[in-house]
Amino acid sequence: MNRDAMELLQGTLDVLILRTLAWQPMHGYAVSRWIRERTEGTIEIEDAPLYKALHRLERAGCVSAEWGVSENNRRARYYRLTATGRRRLREEESAWRRYAAAVFRVLEPA
Amino acid sequence: MSFFTDAMVRVRAMFLRETEERELDDEVRFHLERDAEERVRRGVAPEDARREAALALGGMESQKEQVRDARGTRPLEELASDIRYALRGLRRNPGFTLTGILVLGVGIGATSTVYSIVHSVVLADLPYPEPERLVRVVEKNSPTNIWALSTADVVSIRERQRVFAEWGESTRREVALSGTGTPSRIVVSPASSGYFRAIGIAVAKGRAIQPSDETAEAPAVAVVTDAFARRVLGSADAALGRVLTLDGVSHTVVGVLPPGRDELGGVRSEVWPALKLQPIVRRGPFWLRGLGRLKPGVSLETATADLARVSAEILPMWPDFRDSTAKLTPVPLREVIVGRSVKQVGLFAGGVALVLLLAIVNVATLVLVRASAREQELAVRLMLGAKRGRVARLLVTENLILTLTAAMLGLGLAFVGLDLAVAQLQSMPRIQDAALDWRVIALGIGAAVVSGILVSLSPIAALQGNTNLASHATGRRTDTSNRTSRMRAAFVVAEFALAWPLLVASGLLLSSFVRLQRVDPGFDPRGLVSIGVNLPSIRYPNDTTVFQFRARALQRLAAIPGVVSVGLADDVPPDPNHGNFDNFNLVHKPVPDGQAEPAVPWYYVDPTYFETLGIRIVDGRGYRSGNTADTLPMVIVSESWAKQFTPGESPVGRQLVQGGCYDCPRTTIIGVVEDIRNLGPALPMVAAYGSLVNNGTRSVEILARARAVTPSLLQTMRNELRALDPELPLVETVIADKVDASMADPMRWAAVLTAFAACGMGLAALGVFGLMAYTVRQRRRELGVRLALGAAPSSVTRLVVSRGMKYALIGSGIGLVMTLLFVNRIQTMLFGVSPIDPATFLAVAFMLAGSAFLASWIPGRRAARIRPMEAIGAD
Repeated sequence: MNRDAMELLQGTLDVLILRTLAWQPMHGYAVSRWIRERTEGTIEIEDAPLYKALHRLERAGCVSAEWGVSENNRRARYYRLTATGRRRLREEESAWRRYAAAVFRVLEPA
Repeated sequence: MSFFTDAMVRVRAMFLRETEERELDDEVRFHLERDAEERVRRGVAPEDARREAALALGGMESQKEQVRDARGTRPLEELASDIRYALRGLRRNPGFTLTGILVLGVGIGATSTVYSIVHSVVLADLPYPEPERLVRVVEKNSPTNIWALSTADVVSIRERQRVFAEWGESTRREVALSGTGTPSRIVVSPASSGYFRAIGIAVAKGRAIQPSDETAEAPAVAVVTDAFARRVLGSADAALGRVLTLDGVSHTVVGVLPPGRDELGGVRSEVWPALKLQPIVRRGPFWLRGLGRLKPGVSLETATADLARVSAEILPMWPDFRDSTAKLTPVPLREVIVGRSVKQVGLFAGGVALVLLLAIVNVATLVLVRASAREQELAVRLMLGAKRGRVARLLVTENLILTLTAAMLGLGLAFVGLDLAVAQLQSMPRIQDAALDWRVIALGIGAAVVSGILVSLSPIAALQGNTNLASHATGRRTDTSNRTSRMRAAFVVAEFALAWPLLVASGLLLSSFVRLQRVDPGFDPRGLVSIGVNLPSIRYPNDTTVFQFRARALQRLAAIPGVVSVGLADDVPPDPNHGNFDNFNLVHKPVPDGQAEPAVPWYYVDPTYFETLGIRIVDGRGYRSGNTADTLPMVIVSESWAKQFTPGESPVGRQLVQGGCYDCPRTTIIGVVEDIRNLGPALPMVAAYGSLVNNGTRSVEILARARAVTPSLLQTMRNELRALDPELPLVETVIADKVDASMADPMRWAAVLTAFAACGMGLAALGVFGLMAYTVRQRRRELGVRLALGAAPSSVTRLVVSRGMKYALIGSGIGLVMTLLFVNRIQTMLFGVSPIDPATFLAVAFMLAGSAFLASWIPGRRAARIRPMEAIGAD
């Protein structure tokens, strides 16, 4: 495991997954790899919470899942963002931006 | 998310569980593979890559569980999934599953059947209010010599006792019933009003017997059972006021007992006439059963002392009865009714408990062997993060499913088996009430749950002790499971130990039975038929009419073609329940004062009886008939009688006082006859035969010896007697059948126990077979190496067999000691064989050793055929 990897803040995982899936439908392993590469290894998602979150989002109707064929011709489960998911992403995204801006405002010297 | 979609997903999750589970498997596996590939690309060795990937996944099993948690159906699902998983496991291994279910099912079935019987015969309360206060009162002069009460006794108790709140008497009599269709012979129990009050059971219709019914001049009345009222009189309501003719005397039905009440105080009888006592002329005869209800708070000791006082007070009043050691003694009614059968039922229950134990141990062995075979699977599960508790729960679930299925099978078997058993064991008191009630069902299910948990303990213990998981997971077999193998060995040893008492008991009973069957009845039963008649006193008011009937009946039967010889007796052999025991005192050798006179079974026969049965007269003479008929009191005795009471001299010509009647003329012994088994094969042959010539008893058996007993002969005999008296009930007995029937009880016991023993031996053999077969499979590699290094195949077989025999021998040693400790308890059920009969013990030892040899030889041979290269390469 990457020593520089940060603990994921509570409630961050869902929005990261939704954002990742907004690019294109992916299987779980790809989601995990994409986030790792995108954050240059700063955020490394543990697998168990990842699948837990995927299934939770599926249950909430934010993503839909179907079996497809992976890039090396194996059966894999692809998750796709639904309309509900997009709406949720927009809400969470704006909430996060406002939140992050607020945090930065506090942190930056006056 | 709406409640609806949430519910839909949950429901779908429940129903589609198996698919989802597989999908989850696939998804996780896909992840694992991709991760491993990635690592390989980065230069990690393929094997390590897989392991790292697995570790990174953080335990596949717990991973899946977290995902399952996310689905939110977990509490409901977990049990269902355990069950599904267990079912899958059981299906995968049908041989194991079926053997387990059958073995345990039969064990539970047998236990439930026997417990139903034990409960109804031994454990259940007597069905009367405050049954613990009820006592039967008997005459007793030694722990084994117990007899009934006389009129003098009961009248004295009525007048003098201070311990009973209620007191009554009853007796039992066979009578001719007429006036209600075909004449028949039934058993009735004349009882006093006190008997009904003491027992505390009220009649359902009409009234019980009252004191006013007991006087000589009162009209004859009777209470009947509900069953009798329905069967004979139409209905309970229609019964009241109807008239039953019992031995020619009209009895008015005044009461009907509640439905289902077919016995009172251990006396089974359909008709209960009022008991009328005759004026007392002497202390005897002893014919009444006394029943007392103790006053509240009165102990058995107090009652015993009070009745002893009564005995002492009345002894001087009757000079004809000189036995000062005879005491009126109260015995708890429960003991009277249940006592006799406790030992038999105990043996029965002990046997079945051993079989159940054996079955449980056997299933435990099976489960353990299977668990060892699954060590790898379980280890993988544990390594992948499944919690130990959860794996243990899986094992328990699986075994519980197995044992509960076995319980269902067992209870089904018991349902069928109980009817069969009840039909077989009619001679036991209260057995009719045996039923599969909730207690038995609870017992069956309880046995299943307990055994399910018990058999799971061993693999769980093995699981706990197993720390070297990695080596298991990678499939390399190490012999870390020392603990389980020792446990398996202990199970097999236990099985052989448990089989011992079963085999010994059944061996002893079988050998008793064979000996009983070889016993010569002393006469040839073939061709012998008897017709019992009971002449009603209304139509046969005096001795003359009785004698006339007997003479005509004999004449008619003798004239039937095919009949060789005819005779009369008051009872026909073999009859273990012969009721007429009379006491006597030899004039030339009287018993010392104050001591009990000997009592022997006393039969009454006519002059042609001995000839008809084929009994030779060995000393003196037989009875004469016709004009020279013997009219003085006489008796003919058996050889055993002569040996016992007049050893070293001929009893012929000696005189005795019969029945304690010192004022009566002395009875002269006129002859000695060969012994016959009057009371059945196992009882002594001491007997006295009085003469029917001057005995006007109305109840006699008319015996005929024919060349062959055929239905047409029986029909002809019936017709001849009907021609004499069309209203007379006739009871036919084919004597050969009666001889066979006297063997029925010992045969049943031997058969039941032999069945148990066969189960026991089979289970023990199965146990050692399973263990050795497993050992061979597990040590395949080692055995292969031995063979490769040039060991003779026979030496490999010997190795396996000697191991199996070792367990059998250790078990047998323990079993032998256990058996010797308890075997004396069945002594009273044996005949002609000692409880420590060496032949039986040797035979058991050989049978068990033989079965152990065979059971380990089969896997031993398989071991010898192992192909070394394959076996070594296999790992």
